[in-house]
Order: sequence, then C-alpha cells, then structure tokens
Amino acid sequence: MIRLTKRHFLTAAGAYGIAPALAQDQALRDAALKEGELTWYSGQVQAETGEAVGKAFTQRYPGIKVNVVRSTSQVAYQRLSQDMQAGVAQCDIFSSTDYGHYNVLKRDGSLMPYRPKSADGLIAMARDPDPDNMFQILYIGLYLIAYNNQKVAPADAPKSWTDLLDPKWKGQIATGHPGYSGAVGVMGVTLSRMYGWKYFESLEKNKPQIGRSADDPVTLLNAGERTVGMGVSLAAPLLSASRGNPLTIVYPADGTLAVYSPTAIPKNAPHPNAAKLFMEFACGPEYAEVMRKFFIMPLRPEVPPPEGALPFDKIKLIGSTPAQIEDGVPEVKEQWRDTFGV
Amino acid sequence: MPRSFRLPEPAMLVWVSLIAALLLLIAFPLCKLLLVSLYTRTGVFTFGNYIAAYGRARYVESLVNSLLLATETSLISVVFATPMAWAISRTNMPAKGLVWALVFGAFILPPYLGAIGWILLAGPNAGFVNVVWRWFTGATDPLVNVYTFQGLAFVMAFQSFPLIFIFVKSALDLVSSELEDAANILGAGTWKTMWKVTLPMAFPSIVGGAIIVFLETVALFGTPALIGIPARINTATTQLWQFFESPVRVEVAAAYSIPLLLITLAMVGAQRWFLHRKGFIAQTGKGGERRPIEFGAGRFVLLAWCLAIGLVSVVMPALVLLEASFARAWGRGPSLSNLTIANYRFLIFEHETALSSIWNTLWYSGASATLAAVLALLVAYIISRRLVRFAPVLGFLAMAPFVIPGIVMAIGFYAAFARPPFALYGTAAIIILAFTARFLPIAFASSSAAMSTLHPEMEEAARILGCGRLRTIARITAPLLKKSLMGGWLVVFIVATRELSAAIFLVGPNTRTMAVLLYDLSEAGNFEVVAALGFILLAITMVLVAIGMMAIGRDFMLRRT
Repeated sequence: MIRLTKRHFLTAAGAYGIAPALAQDQALRDAALKEGELTWYSGQVQAETGEAVGKAFTQRYPGIKVNVVRSTSQVAYQRLSQDMQAGVAQCDIFSSTDYGHYNVLKRDGSLMPYRPKSADGLIAMARDPDPDNMFQILYIGLYLIAYNNQKVAPADAPKSWTDLLDPKWKGQIATGHPGYSGAVGVMGVTLSRMYGWKYFESLEKNKPQIGRSADDPVTLLNAGERTVGMGVSLAAPLLSASRGNPLTIVYPADGTLAVYSPTAIPKNAPHPNAAKLFMEFACGPEYAEVMRKFFIMPLRPEVPPPEGALPFDKIKLIGSTPAQIEDGVPEVKEQWRDTFGV
Repeated sequence: MPRSFRLPEPAMLVWVSLIAALLLLIAFPLCKLLLVSLYTRTGVFTFGNYIAAYGRARYVESLVNSLLLATETSLISVVFATPMAWAISRTNMPAKGLVWALVFGAFILPPYLGAIGWILLAGPNAGFVNVVWRWFTGATDPLVNVYTFQGLAFVMAFQSFPLIFIFVKSALDLVSSELEDAANILGAGTWKTMWKVTLPMAFPSIVGGAIIVFLETVALFGTPALIGIPARINTATTQLWQFFESPVRVEVAAAYSIPLLLITLAMVGAQRWFLHRKGFIAQTGKGGERRPIEFGAGRFVLLAWCLAIGLVSVVMPALVLLEASFARAWGRGPSLSNLTIANYRFLIFEHETALSSIWNTLWYSGASATLAAVLALLVAYIISRRLVRFAPVLGFLAMAPFVIPGIVMAIGFYAAFARPPFALYGTAAIIILAFTARFLPIAFASSSAAMSTLHPEMEEAARILGCGRLRTIARITAPLLKKSLMGGWLVVFIVATRELSAAIFLVGPNTRTMAVLLYDLSEAGNFEVVAALGFILLAITMVLVAIGMMAIGRDFMLRRT
C-alpha cells in the first residue's frame, strides 16, 4: 500500500508539468506577500478604474496593497525619469499610453524582462508585443466620435472622420490637445498619414474647441456647449451615458483609432515579486472584468465587450506603429500649434 | 558696527536659523533653477536655453499675454475689492455679515471649480446666462463669452479680488477715526475725506494686494488651461507646460521663467518705493477710536455693489456647480428624477483615496500655514526693525516664490530635495515645504503690511524695561498683530487647500491632496463627481473659516469694549 502524501502527489503532478508551475506560483506569491505592497504609476486608466483594479488585486491576494499613482501619461513618465535620475526606486509598475516611452526605457536598459504566464490567454492582438518580454499590452484604447443625441439626430450625426470637415459642424466640434493627451497625438499622426495635414487645416475652418485630455469633450457635450466630440475614448462617453447623459458613440467608417498601451516593470522596482504577481493578475480575466465594468475593452477572449460597445472583430481599426508614433508626435504637436494657435 | 559686536542675544540664534531656513527653502531651489537654465544636459555652460525659450514669436507672445492678463486681472480686482473693503470697514452699510460671507465664499471657491462654473454660465452656446439672454431678447449672439481674453481676466478677478479685499480691509481697520475727524473739522466732506485721508492710508495695502494678485495670476495654471486653451490664448504657464512635454526640457523651462523672476524684483522694488515715499504709520501705543461713517441712501448703493460682486463671483458659479454635484447626469438638466446623492456617496464611501486625500489636504495646509506665518512674522520683524544689514534681501527671498509658477517651483523643489541627502521625494515633508515656500509671500505681505503700521515705541518700552528681543516679540508684537497673523494664517491655509500646480509633481503614492484628485477627475469628463468633491472641500474649508472667524471676531469685540 502506498501512502499518498502531498509530496507524492506533487511528484506525480510534476510528471505532467503542473507542479513546477504550481510551486513557482506559490513561491512568487510568498515572495510578493513578503513585500506587501506595490506602486503603480498609471497614465492609462482613470483614478476610479485604477482604484478598482487595486481593490480587486488585494481581494485576490490579501496582504498586498496597491498604491495607484494616477496622472497623465506624460507626467507619469516624467516622474519615472526623475526617480531614475535621482536614484530613487519608487515605481513597480509603469503604464502609459505613449509607446515611445517604452522604446526609450528599453534602449536604456531600464526595464525588467518578465513574461506573465497568464499572457497566453490574452487575445492575439495584445499577446507578446515585445520579443524580449520587456513590456506587455494591458490596454488598447479606442478613440472615436461621440455626439449629444439631444442636439443631433442620429441620421445627421457624422459617420467618419472626414464627415467632421463638413461646414455644418462649424462651431460644433470639441477635441483634445496633443500636448496634453498622448492619444490625441496618435490621432494627429494617424489622420495626417491617412489624409495629410491638410485634414487638420480644413478642420480648423470649423473652429473646433480645443481642450486638453481626449475626454475633455465629454464635459462640453453633456453641457450642450458643443455637440460633437472628436477623438474621445470609448470609455468616457459610455460611462457618462450609463449615468443618463445624452451621449451616443460612433465608430468612424474610416476607422476607429486603436492606441496600444504598454505596461512594464522598471528594472529597479522596489517590490519586484509583487510587480510580477500584478502582471500575472493584469493579464488574467479578473483584470479584464474590472476593465469591462469601466467600459474599457477587455483583452481576454472570455470576457465580453462592455455594454454598448462592439467586439474587436466588428470594428475597423486604424493606428500607427510605435516608430511612427515616436517620430510623428513631436512634429504633430508643432503643426497643431501652427494650425490652431494653441 | 557696534551692535554686531555686542554679546549675542539668544535672538541671534533665531535670526541665523531663520536665514538658513529661507536660504534652504527659497534660495536653494532658485539657484538650482538658475544653474539648470545655464547648462546643457551634459553640463556645458550655455545661453542656448534662453535662445530656445525666447527664440519663437509664439513663446514671447505667451509671456506678454500673461503679463497683460495679470495686469488686467489686478486692476479689475482693485476696482471690485476696494469699495467693498471700505464699505465693510468704515461705513454703516447694512448686511455686512452677508457680504463677508460672500467674499469668503469667493475666496475659498477653488479657481478650478470657479472656472468650470463660469464655463457652464458663460459658454457662448449653452451657457446659462446666454440661454436666458437669448430667451428674453431673441438675440442670436451670446451676451457674454467666457472663451475670450476679457472673459479669462474677469473669471480670474472673481477668484482673486478677495486677496485685495483682505489686505485693504485690515489696513482700513487700523486707520483711526481721529484722522478722518481732523479732515472733517477742517471742512472736508465724507467723500473727500475718504479720497484724501482714508484711502491713502490704505494705499500700501492696495498696492501690496494688487501685486499679490498680479503674481498669483501670472503663476496660475488651472484657469488658463481650462479657459485659455479653448479661447486659443497661450499663457506663460501653459507654455511652460509645453517645455515639460516629453522630451522634458527642464533647462529651457528654467530659462523661460528667469525673466519672470526679474519682473518680481521690479515689483517688490516698486512696492518698497511706494511704502517708503510716505509715512503710513497708523497704529501707535496711544489708542485711537474707530467708528463707522454714517451714510443715508448711499449705504444701499454700496450694498448693491457688494452683492453684485458676490453674485457673479460666488453665488452663480456655486449654484451651477451645486446642481451638477447632485445631478445623476448633468446633460439631463434640472429635474427631480435627475437628483441623486450618488456622487457624494461614491466619494465618501466607495472611493479609496478621497478620504485620505481630504485628510492630507487639511494637515499639509495647516502645517504649511503655521510654518509660513512664523517665518513671515520673523522676516517682517527683522526688516521693519532693520535688525540686520541685508534685511531687504530677506524680503526679496520671502516675496520671490510667488512669481515662480507652481510647476517650476515643484521642479525646483524636486531637483533640490528629492535626492539624497534630503531624500524627501514622496513624503509629506516635501509638499509641506513647497507649500510653505510658495505661500510665504502671502503671509509675509500680510505681516509686513501690519508691521509697517506698528510703531516701535511699544516694543521699545518693553525693551527698556528689560525684555529680551524674543520675549518682546512674543509678548508685545505678536499679540498686537494677532488679527493680522491669524488672517495671514487663514489665507495661506485656504490657498494651500486648493493648490494644484505645485502639488501635482510632488505627490507620491500616499500623499495625494484633494486638488490633485480634482484635477484627475476633471480630465475624465465626469464633472458631477468633480463638483461633489469640490463641495466637500468647500464645506470643510467653510467650517474651519467659521471657527477662525469666531476666534478673530471675539478678539475684535473685546477690543471695542
């Protein structure tokens, strides 16, 4: 008679390749628990969403606290650069909407390679963005058109980016600013590759109201000050509409802008194990569920798209490559200021 | 120099540590800034950063815009505030308590919220004022448009006129009626007395207040970002933000802000010139009676003016925001079914950081207000009693922070204190120190204005009777200035609670303030929650102000009897 002990079981399981994984998971968890916390610099999701992610993580792994430091991506990057210059290690997870940041950080050898096992379950377009596993894609921002449905009838609403050039939208459009919003910068790069910079020169004839973040137009649309928002994120108008505001989103016929946003562990992360555990969590389904609740596209196939949004395969996507973004955004900012005066 | 060779008093130690504190808090970050502006990234001396900073018409234009905007805002604020201060301090105008409340309301309304409120009121298409205007007149053009230079200047003046009010009122409170009686006896009427006697006595405070408003407006980031960008008006602060874009050009930003510092120098020089040209000593050890000027119908004209200013600066924006904070969805407009307390419930019970940010805000602001008040009193004392030869330099140091835009100040602080040996990054200390340095000018201006009306004879009496310098300050000077000091403390506390631009670069994981949280939420296209958080901030501030005013008011009553 063989007495089955835990050890036997593990050995047996090991034969099938399960035990090392389990043991490794447990080791990571223990090490992370010993660290007890992690700090997340995030320019991707809003504060509310970030806090909800932190809560979900702590619920899953009690004893590990997530400090969410939310800012715009440019500020988050600046803070990280300053930390690195000052030789102070504060950040365990760095999330931004600007791909260029990761190119620079990777070139400087400032990132820690880690391939979360749970990343196997991500949708193909988000899986393995970097051959050296220096970063993962945890967020694909969709940027599109939204309008105030009390002021604009659905039939009259703009259907594409080029529709926005119609003189009937004069004094009606609101948008963000590439100097504040990374996503608006990518929109500038992408639309000027598609239609040339003259697209924006024509847009200026309609006197768009320029705000800062990509989501600033939502406020103006709700108030009725402007009726059409250009380049707003999917999440903001859907969340606002879910609370009863009169907003409708439009997936432009000439393409919805997709901004691939990486997340990485800095090389000098003070809580490296908690950071790795967080990456495992963030590539898994629970994170995707939280995203869905806040109207952000989940990147796991088993989690359906948010209420009121189309699945990825039903959307025509446009975008720019990391290299195009890195080179193009500074130029777009200059052109933007020449054309719009701010 | 016989004095410096005398046996040092214990006070000497205090002066030395005071000077060290000022150097550390203000000169050190400033020197960092200057050094950074003169070197390339790789450490080669250059003027190239200045060429980069001012080498484009657009960049120069932004600075000019800021100067024009600040001048116009200061002038509007003086016009708003001076009659109000005079009416409250010197006349029998009715409903003074209400006017007080309105001024404080305008003051504690964070600029961010006031700007959002006015966007909702004076937006050219959907602004409430314009909707009503069109409805009454059938006009198609808007009555007011917030997205213009004038609109921006007025919104900024709504936010900053209380600073002038506070300074002018406390100066007028000290002018004794005997001076006015003398003018009356010599045949001057009420108005002539006001113009020739009372107002000139308050002149240092008017100029001081106007300068503070100018400097605050030049350094403001929130309102220009909210209103200026859609109005297509670049200002120095939004331009500085551009230099901080990736790739971050701190050296160019530093170079861009150095001329602003030179302007401060000029303004402090101007203020000193005004103060020294004439004597303004109003409070002596000989007492003096103060009683209100009696007005007939004129007092209702004054009241109407005060109420009109209160209406546009606080009541209207606050009402619009209040409605938003209780709205399920702003876009649905006012209706019963749209009413909800969900925004407040979310912030207080569900939001992880809202409560800790409230607590952080209160204690950082309290700590920096206290530090600033103590520093300011000592500096003002040294200067007005000319205790050390380089006293004017201390005055300049104490005034300098105001013109450093909060963003630049934060970077200066970051460069100076984040790294070892200080290693303050992410701590409460770096925020408290930055707030203290940034708002020292307010505390200093209020202490030094008060000091300049305080004759040394009372201190001299104490000194002759054997009191040491510090004991004299503690027993004679500070009690005489108690109202001014408490006023200064409250002002610093309130502006610190709403300070955004310095905080946003210095907050760490556990040190976020409400202003930073408001900024985060305002970007998210979700201003029902922004308005609710703003009102929580307002409610807390109002409670504290009420407590403070009760304390100050009791003191006032005691003095009268």
